[in-house]
Amino acid sequence: MFPLNRKYLTTAAMAAGAILHAFAGARANDVVTLGASVQLTGSSANTGRYYKDAYQFAIDKIDAAGGVKVGGKTYKLALKILDNQSNVNLSVRQYVQLVSADKVDFLLGPFASNFALSDSSVSEKYRVPMVQGGGASSEIFTRGYNYVFGTLPAADDYFASTIDMLAKLGIKGKKVALVVADDSFDASVAKGTRQHLLDAGTTIAVDRTYRSGAADFSTILTEVKAADVDAILWSGHETEALNFIRQMQSLNVNPKSFYGFTVGVPTEDFRRALGKSADYAFGMTPWLPDAKLKDRWFGDAAAFAKDYQAKFGYAPDYHAASAIADVETFAIALERAGSLDPKAVRDAIAGVSFDSVYATVKYGTNGQIALPQVVVQVQGGKLVPVFTDHFVGKALFPIPAWDKRP
Amino acid sequence: MVLPQILLNGVLLGGLYGLMALGMALVWGVLNIVNLSHGALIMLGGYAVYFLFTVTGLDPFAALPVAMAAMFAFGYLLQRRLLNLVVRSALLNTLLITFGLDVVLTYLAQLAFTADFRTINPTYSGANFAVAGLTVPVVRLAAFGIAIALAATLWFVLARSPLGRAIRATSQNLTAARLYGVDPGSLYAVTFGIGAALAGAAGGLYGMVSNLTPYIGAELTAKSFVIAIIGGLSNPFNVILGGVFVGVAESLAALYLGPTFTNVVGFGLLVGILVVRPSPSIRAA
Repeated sequence: MFPLNRKYLTTAAMAAGAILHAFAGARANDVVTLGASVQLTGSSANTGRYYKDAYQFAIDKIDAAGGVKVGGKTYKLALKILDNQSNVNLSVRQYVQLVSADKVDFLLGPFASNFALSDSSVSEKYRVPMVQGGGASSEIFTRGYNYVFGTLPAADDYFASTIDMLAKLGIKGKKVALVVADDSFDASVAKGTRQHLLDAGTTIAVDRTYRSGAADFSTILTEVKAADVDAILWSGHETEALNFIRQMQSLNVNPKSFYGFTVGVPTEDFRRALGKSADYAFGMTPWLPDAKLKDRWFGDAAAFAKDYQAKFGYAPDYHAASAIADVETFAIALERAGSLDPKAVRDAIAGVSFDSVYATVKYGTNGQIALPQVVVQVQGGKLVPVFTDHFVGKALFPIPAWDKRP
Repeated sequence: MVLPQILLNGVLLGGLYGLMALGMALVWGVLNIVNLSHGALIMLGGYAVYFLFTVTGLDPFAALPVAMAAMFAFGYLLQRRLLNLVVRSALLNTLLITFGLDVVLTYLAQLAFTADFRTINPTYSGANFAVAGLTVPVVRLAAFGIAIALAATLWFVLARSPLGRAIRATSQNLTAARLYGVDPGSLYAVTFGIGAALAGAAGGLYGMVSNLTPYIGAELTAKSFVIAIIGGLSNPFNVILGGVFVGVAESLAALYLGPTFTNVVGFGLLVGILVVRPSPSIRAA
């Protein structure tokens, strides 16, 4: 072996460092890079894929249409995406890496409130705007942060339209069970929902918080059954929703008229996994692939949903549409700002108002969009919109008991 | 009727927990390998039953033996070709290699099966009947029965058959077993294969009462670990009892302390038991 002396090694390392630095530091000067750390593997990978696919889809569309004009110069958008393995701590480190080492220009968000809650601290600290479509918890938007914007409506109000509908169906004075997970999103849902239920004049007969990720609901379901409630309002994540419904059925738990979920019902995967057991379940979504939602790049939401399905092989839900709105927010804001300066772009984002496949995108003073939730129901394996602030479809109500179904 | 129902739920759930831990306890007791990929084997067994059910239309309970046979073969090869290389080395080595195996199997599963949620959902999956005011879910009852039956079979094999005598002899005194003509390499592989087959059965049943993703393994490994310690490594029935103990404790914790505390109680039991009776279970190994 030839001797490697220390001096030689040091010189080589310095040279390599200089070369690497030149590469890392040199921004292709007509590209704006959006960085994100998303759940590509791990327990949330199933929902994380919406963000990866939709971010890329939107960026490709915008670039294909010529890119973004910023102060007389045209830029292409590019995506730098990292896999946080469904691990919050890793995702925070990756956002730090994105802004400090990878030098991305702006940030897109991760999936889920507990991630967005922690990751937005990085955007705030480094003063790089983050537009995220995966975190709805009000905890994200009540810290006085200036650099985080959100395209999911406030978690506190997820059940507002549902309770509104139940009021019209005569819920006043009835008994309700509230079952929620203990993560950031669901804590926010629970807080808002309790108030909405009180305002609607109901009694919360069972109010249970379970460990996020729990697989066994038999104790809660036994309590709910014993309390003989009229309705169950449930919040958590999709895998837990599947377990809850299946165990509801196998323990023959039948609220007198209603059960509804914050998450899961609008997702194709959910209905496929449950088969007939998914029928009658109520859910909610801030988005449906409606041709009335016009978009500068995609035409309209119905065309978007079709293209998305063809491109990725699965149907988009509101997570995907929300992610599209995040990318488009940057495109619109960059044009408005006429500069790549993070502060100027941040101010431009705060002032945008544009139509997209997702909704009319406009941020409140806290940085969060305001959108109503459409109440949806699974009817014969299909997702049917039922109620917005009035009935838009026929609700199958009351929900028949498990042992009384055809 | 809340308390009796919750106790019933806990017992039925615990039977399945016990079955999950059975394979881990066997491998741990005989091979002295704490198999951190045990949960991943449960997950693979679940997918095997899922695909047998959805693709060939085989009833999931009929698919269990098929999945168990496939998992036996997989476990046998894994031990023969990989784990036998480290079987008598330091505990840390086996922990590292099985941890690595867990990561590899999990991520391969995502590549192969995607991260979609899958349920093994035969028409009777929600079926139940009422006895004395209690609701008994059919699939959970069947899972409990299968757990008992497999534990009994394992006990019989270990206690009465020549194979079982060879397994016990090897775990008690390797040199003496060799003098009597036992080939430890193949015996270890058979033992690990049995452990994997038991994990496969547990996975199929888990997919029927819950749902499958490539990522369910880690939590199931942890649960199996706790139950294997509580139940001890020497007697299959004690492992099932350990599972029932944890299942009931979790159900009662959910009732009296709140459902956020189920894991605190599960792992708290582990700590408590290690403090109170540290030696018997370990000595039994």
